[in-house]
Amino acid sequence: MIAEALKGKTILVTGTTGFLGKSIVEKTLRAIPEVGRINLAIRSSARRPAAERLEREVLSSPAFKRLKDELGEEAFARLAAEKLSVLEIDLGADGLGLTDAGRAELARCDIVIHSAAAVEFDNPADLSAQTNLLGAARMVNTVRETGKRPHLVHISTAYVGGLIRGLVREEMPLDPGLNWRHEAAVLAALRGPVEEESRRPEVLRKLRREARSRVGPAGTPAMARATERLREKWVKDRLVERGRVHANAMGFSDIYSFTKAMAEHAVVELHGDVPLSIVRPSIIESSLDEPFPGWLEGFRMAEPIILAFGRGILQDFSGLPDSVLDIIPVDFVVNAVLAVAASPPPDAKPRFYHVASGSRNPLRYRQFPEIGREYFGEKPLRDRYGQAIGAPNWTYPTRSELAARARTALRFTEAAQWLVERLPLGAGASPLSDNLNAERERLERGLGLIQLYGVYTEVDCIFDTRHLMSVWDKLPSAEQKTFPFDPALYTWDHYMKDVHIPTVLRMSRQETAARRGKQPTGSTLVKTAGDSVRSAIERRTGRSDVLAVFDVDGTLVETNVVEYFLWMRLRAQPLEDWPAFMAEMLREAPRWLYLERRSRAEFQRSFYRQYDGLDYEVMRRLGREALNAVTLRRVYPEGMRRIREHKRAGHHVLLLTGALDVVVEPLAELLEVEVDCAHLLEKDGRMTGDLQSPPPAGEARATLLEEYASRHGLVLSESFAYADSLSDLPMLELVSTPVVVNPDARLSQVAGQRGWRVERWRMAPGNWRPPMPDPRSPEYREAVRR
Amino acid sequence: MARPGAVIEVDRNTPPTLFHYGEGVRLERLPLGSRIVYPPDPLEPIAHPERAIKRALGKPLDDDPLKSLLRRGMKLTLAFDDLSLPLPPMAAPDVRQLVMEEVIDMAAEAGVEDIHLIAALGLHRRMTQDEVRHIVGDRIFSTFWPDRLYQHDGEDPDENVYIGKTAQGEEVTLNKRAAESDLVIYVNLTLVPMDGGHKSMATGLATYRGIRAHHNVKTLLGSRSYMNPPDSALHHSCIRQGQLIEDTVRVFHIETTVNNHAFPSIASFMQKRETDWTPQDQAMFLAMKQMTDIAPPAFKRGVFHAMRAPYGLTSVNAGQVDAVHDKTLDAVRNQISVPVEGQTDIVTMGVPYLGPYNINAPMNPVLVVCMAAGYLFNLYRGKPVLREGGVLIFEHPCRYEFDAVQHPSYIDFYDEVLADTTDPFEIEKKYEQRFAEDPWFIQLYRKSNAYHGVHPFYAHYWAAFAMQYAGDIIVVGGEREVVHRLGFKAATTLEDALEMAEQTVGRHPSITHLRVPPIMLCDVQ
Repeated sequence: MIAEALKGKTILVTGTTGFLGKSIVEKTLRAIPEVGRINLAIRSSARRPAAERLEREVLSSPAFKRLKDELGEEAFARLAAEKLSVLEIDLGADGLGLTDAGRAELARCDIVIHSAAAVEFDNPADLSAQTNLLGAARMVNTVRETGKRPHLVHISTAYVGGLIRGLVREEMPLDPGLNWRHEAAVLAALRGPVEEESRRPEVLRKLRREARSRVGPAGTPAMARATERLREKWVKDRLVERGRVHANAMGFSDIYSFTKAMAEHAVVELHGDVPLSIVRPSIIESSLDEPFPGWLEGFRMAEPIILAFGRGILQDFSGLPDSVLDIIPVDFVVNAVLAVAASPPPDAKPRFYHVASGSRNPLRYRQFPEIGREYFGEKPLRDRYGQAIGAPNWTYPTRSELAARARTALRFTEAAQWLVERLPLGAGASPLSDNLNAERERLERGLGLIQLYGVYTEVDCIFDTRHLMSVWDKLPSAEQKTFPFDPALYTWDHYMKDVHIPTVLRMSRQETAARRGKQPTGSTLVKTAGDSVRSAIERRTGRSDVLAVFDVDGTLVETNVVEYFLWMRLRAQPLEDWPAFMAEMLREAPRWLYLERRSRAEFQRSFYRQYDGLDYEVMRRLGREALNAVTLRRVYPEGMRRIREHKRAGHHVLLLTGALDVVVEPLAELLEVEVDCAHLLEKDGRMTGDLQSPPPAGEARATLLEEYASRHGLVLSESFAYADSLSDLPMLELVSTPVVVNPDARLSQVAGQRGWRVERWRMAPGNWRPPMPDPRSPEYREAVRR
Repeated sequence: MARPGAVIEVDRNTPPTLFHYGEGVRLERLPLGSRIVYPPDPLEPIAHPERAIKRALGKPLDDDPLKSLLRRGMKLTLAFDDLSLPLPPMAAPDVRQLVMEEVIDMAAEAGVEDIHLIAALGLHRRMTQDEVRHIVGDRIFSTFWPDRLYQHDGEDPDENVYIGKTAQGEEVTLNKRAAESDLVIYVNLTLVPMDGGHKSMATGLATYRGIRAHHNVKTLLGSRSYMNPPDSALHHSCIRQGQLIEDTVRVFHIETTVNNHAFPSIASFMQKRETDWTPQDQAMFLAMKQMTDIAPPAFKRGVFHAMRAPYGLTSVNAGQVDAVHDKTLDAVRNQISVPVEGQTDIVTMGVPYLGPYNINAPMNPVLVVCMAAGYLFNLYRGKPVLREGGVLIFEHPCRYEFDAVQHPSYIDFYDEVLADTTDPFEIEKKYEQRFAEDPWFIQLYRKSNAYHGVHPFYAHYWAAFAMQYAGDIIVVGGEREVVHRLGFKAATTLEDALEMAEQTVGRHPSITHLRVPPIMLCDVQ
């Protein structure tokens, strides 16, 4: 019946880059070879024309692998060229942005399957309204304008009924008395006011404060970028929240089902005499059999929960243990859609079909963790130490209880993180902070899951499938085999254990692998070093236009400007003056710590005032002495090795630091490399405490580097940079191989996000000495006497 | 008359035996029937060192009195051994100070004005001001430092000269100032038979080019041992180089020896046999054991390295190098020789906190190998105490610890080279040149206080013979990872180590414990 009905027909499918649309195209192509033509509605994106998207986003999907294997690549390409064509459609534009030729092609269609939607539950309100609601309305309008009467199959969702109890019938959805046009207009226009709101001084000030605390030392441009990113996120969060709250207020679980419900109203109102079928699948999950068992794309609903369950992240979950969790395999949905498409309603009255498992083969919510426990009991996931993770035992508290628990834990973690990031622990804090960060992410993920999906575990309703079953009953038994969609055909035990959970686990590995390589977008774009730094050096051996730039304090040497100052000043004064001097330094310490956190440049400027009035030549001599006593004792052997590797490779090596010339130049001389450091103004042979030029921190450092590179004909896009602190961020962003050495907590996070190399260099053990000369040394005593 | 060294058999009444254990000590019970070799007691020192020095300078061996060699307007250079000798550093005044003060007084009397004092440190690290001052004394230091008292720089292209090749093709280089002097006076202190003689000038004032002629794996494997010059290819090579130097420049050698009174009174239990320990010694031992068990390494190091040895002068000879060195070797052997009968399956020893290359620094793993399998193992004459294929067991904590200033090339040697291989030949072929010519290490050697880039290689080669000769080397109480990196086996206790050794040498092995330091030379018959 299905194959017969669709024979020679021209079908338009929208949303073919999505999971369901793709599956529909694949099944049609494979199971109904006599179909006339399938038009795929694809929009050209900013990066790719529609034809290329067909190739890259549809045909190269694993869904088509079976067909390719059965036919061979060539025959498949021939088949695709013959049966598939792209129809450029933009659901965001009136008239769908169709050309005349496009309109003619639309007019030739016998069946229109509209499966395009913004399916994420947490989409911004305006996006959901545009795509789901207005998109569907435009679709119907344009079809009617052609004057033809193709069979319109509108894919909706079973949850358009909202949060109601009991049996949900296959008829018009809950109508809270809303006008869909009005809803669409308000929601779609939300972005403007929210954008405006985001620019209000109090909001911007708050965001800027947050940006400063995250990347403050990296300089003004970096902070501006961070503020803008935070603002964009703020806008999105607001829009998501507006959508969610609005949907909840109207009796829906989320913006997705709300806009889909409105879309049904719109489609029903607008369709006129166009035959209309509305198909409402429940939660679509991986396929049972076709094109292969466990075909799934993207992480949707049950997947994150299954994964979180297996990883022990969700120690507990809310919900009604005896409620029905309505999951349906994608191949059953596809078959149902095709069966519906093959039996258009004889009149203008719309028909509704639920594609759901609840009435025929209910999966009770309690079964879900039970099956999970059985599965993970046999094949547990392993933590990073390779130890098996035990599957949790759920007690089903209420959703608000659970959320409150998670929120409390989250608050504690955030407080701990706040504290750790502010303590003057330097690189020592980064492992601790990374752990806290991981814990915080874990909690946030759990909380997100509770908020997003918790409601679905409390849905106390059953979807009636009598209409669909009457279609099923009409199918000849041969087609019941080729196009199965009766949920009673499988057991949940088999589906979960043999198909779905293994699929989720397989895909989660894929997903983590992909996330690692994820690149940031926009102005902060950097290329990640593919493999180890050493092989990058090897690849660029012998190139004199390659620069390797090193920060000094904290990157090559475990010191900071304070310790040098301390050592040099103590060295120059007799033992009895030490306590007074130390007390003065201690008094200033908190202020310096605060400044350092705010901005490296401000700190340096303030600290260098201490040098006011000191004899320049004496400080030079002391700096030279500090080389042996402080610098060389505290260098990182790996850093020294790396510099020499660069030199052996013929690279240009530069030390770029905010430390003073008197202490850095001796090291650079010894290393025989160039150095760019801070100089103090001099007056009558004495230092003044004023800098000759702004301290090279933050964006100033990046500019300095660019200037330097252009002066020496160096190619920064082939260069290396090594640094340890957030204030070096702009510099690291400039080069192709940024290496983060002993990062502080904040830089460690940035490096993790961008996939930069993080190396931990250590002093040779047993070399730490307090930064003070040995008062027993005759050399010291004699020098002080002089 | 001081008591000579002895070999004692462990019986039921033998008290537990002292093992040095880095910056710490342990008492171990050796199996019944084991032998313990004790060094001789310190010889009676010369009562009036100044007089002895005057006498030696006035009546040199095979040479004219020093006074007659000094004349107005001459270019005079004094070269002296660096602080790698003696161990531990000598309590002030250092013998070298006494000798040099005497010589300088003489030179001043003779009207010599152009005097330079050069620390002959070869490829060792430059000493700090304080360390130089300790060797030469305040008077000389304040007069000559820094322009006329300085340290040899084997990497200064302008201050070293190439002298020529020996008959065997060994290249010879020399400090330029020394080469251009009318007279070089070498002031030496000999602690073990390896030191002194021609080796003083041939290595102390040479460059890498000259030193590599004999500091290589082949020569060292041909030295059985380098603690006994007649059997040492190393020394034969040095003698050939030294003779070429003597042909170029007039050298007057002054060699001194000291007794083996290595430990000050607070640590006198280290000096004595366990049977001789007084209640004070036992109390001192207990106190030190408690302290070293709980104190952090840096603190222990501070305590240990502050120890100064109350060495006493036992001989001073001056004149022509061979004549002088014969007398010196006699004096050294007189102090440290112990006759030992026959070889043994297992040799045990405790490695102390100090070796020649870690004054004021931790003994890093590479140096532990050099000290145990190098110096201590090679303290024999004739044959090693250990039989071929026997097992060497030593105790040392073997911490991953390096002095960043003194031993930068050691860190890289450990991290890069030893991670690759421990085979001396392969190391020599694959890595030596790169380290020796690394500009960074050269800079650190010249301007900081770092050992030369090639020095860790020499430290490792020093142990080449023992590593080839012993069937197995087991470290008791060492950090497992470090010990494995060094190519040895790690054991927790001596008992375990002995059990492990039985797999190599069979059941009921014979065991000999070398109770060093103080230093001794086993005369194996």
